[in-house]
Amino acid sequence: MIPIIKWTLWQRRWSTIWWCIGITAFITLELSVYSSIRGQADQLNEALKSLPDTVRSLFGSQDLFSPVGYLNSRVFYLLLPLMLSVLTIGLGSSLIAREESDGTLELLLGRPISRGKLVLSKLISGLIIVIAVALVALVVMLILVKIVDLDVPLSNVAVAALLASLLSLLFGTLAFAIASLGRFGRGASIGLASLIGLGGYIISSLESSVNWLGYPAKALPYHYYNPTAVLNGDRPWMVTGVYSLIILVLCLIAWLAFRRRDISA
Amino acid sequence: MATPAISTVGLGKQYSGSKVFALNDLNLDIAAGEVYGFLGPNGAGKTTTIRLLMNFIQPSKGGANILGGDVVKDSVAIHKEVGYISGDGGLYPKMTTTQLLKYMTELRPLKRRKALAELIKGFDVSMNIKIRELSRGNRQKVAIAQAFMHEPKVLILDEPTSGLDPLMQEQFYQLVKERKQQGAVVFFSSHNLAEVQKVCDRIGFIREGKLISEQSISEVAATAASTFDLTFVGKAPAGELKRIRHAKVTQHTQSHVTVYLRGDLSPLFRTLAHHQVASINQREINLEEEFLSFYRGDK
Repeated sequence: MIPIIKWTLWQRRWSTIWWCIGITAFITLELSVYSSIRGQADQLNEALKSLPDTVRSLFGSQDLFSPVGYLNSRVFYLLLPLMLSVLTIGLGSSLIAREESDGTLELLLGRPISRGKLVLSKLISGLIIVIAVALVALVVMLILVKIVDLDVPLSNVAVAALLASLLSLLFGTLAFAIASLGRFGRGASIGLASLIGLGGYIISSLESSVNWLGYPAKALPYHYYNPTAVLNGDRPWMVTGVYSLIILVLCLIAWLAFRRRDISA
Repeated sequence: MATPAISTVGLGKQYSGSKVFALNDLNLDIAAGEVYGFLGPNGAGKTTTIRLLMNFIQPSKGGANILGGDVVKDSVAIHKEVGYISGDGGLYPKMTTTQLLKYMTELRPLKRRKALAELIKGFDVSMNIKIRELSRGNRQKVAIAQAFMHEPKVLILDEPTSGLDPLMQEQFYQLVKERKQQGAVVFFSSHNLAEVQKVCDRIGFIREGKLISEQSISEVAATAASTFDLTFVGKAPAGELKRIRHAKVTQHTQSHVTVYLRGDLSPLFRTLAHHQVASINQREINLEEEFLSFYRGDK
């Protein structure tokens, strides 16, 4: 297992570094401007109230310019989970599938390694990459929160980052499980996982304004993602546990699907 | 008979969505130390057989054993002793040869470090160039090195010499012979019939998913047509030659003919004795003709 993890990480080293640079740049851009708008927070919030509820709900908060509101709307509500989800869905749909389409999967499976260990090795590799990028994002956020003097406890920022990472991992493992089904799955994995991820964001954002979206929203992971509450000190261990459980179930599905299926030529 | 190194019993594969079996009721017994050539046209079922033996695809019926283990249940243990070359030659394009071989060695350690050094030297493998920058032939050398470097007891090779130049092909045949002498079993699919003739002990002909004939090389040679290029001083006696039983004659020029003759050659030489022959050249037994005759249904 260790050689597969090691060489998968080696193969993805440059893309991981670029992800770290990209996420650092986005977060820096978003948070560094806070100091210049802080003085106008009250006026800006007043101006925001004149917007329709539907528009405001898309930002994930009714209060966009308080420290918690700003951090939530600029980073945690969309940017961080979106960027991490693009990363995890990309990984999930390619960690095994690309090896299969390139024909290199046969090199690995022709060696004395079980399919279960191969799936586990690829999952661990993907997890390490996501943790690395998420940790860089967290460290950058913690530094900037201090620098621009956003009055939010650092532990709250860390738990919110953990929750965003888990939500993204859920979409990534969904893509991984779908891709593990075989040829059809590879094509569908990015589309389906993105649909549930991005569609979940849109539906969950609009559910407070559009009544009939309430029930479908409850079936989507994004509905339970509430970074505002976390930044205000809530600890959503139940949601964290359920996300983790779904991730484990999706990993199990990936293993079961891959264990006995035909490898494409 | 000792337990065969590779055996299949009623092995069959029907791909999902297909009404026909890509491979049907394959029964093979291949002994240790034997080189088995598996011949057939495109789509005959050669690669399906190899992928079943490697446990890349699941059998729809029947089963297969390698070194006494079931290819599905015991694949991890079996693969410790299997070297495999894929027909598509999928290698990591962004890695150098050194990196790829290091990775593969970490997944399955070498028995002797020197074995890899010998392969690299023998095949003049380019080590520090990215695989995507290598020519088809040089990539094939890497594929050979990764399959042979741990000195496996079983070699499963799908079109292993494709892209190799003649010199490297000879080097490869030598390598196969060495492994055979050390008791390895080699399962070898090929389109190149001349190479099968050179290295294989036995040939299986497969068509439309069914094994239609198995023969030893000596049996094939005994029943094969001989081919003679004959040049006469003066006009070639084409009419007389055509009257020889089982002979087929192609006239190239007035004095130059080619005679294909199956079985007893003495009538040909009795005829030639009555004419002034400038030269006789016998071509190698044309296994390709033998091969094609199976597919035309001549045999």
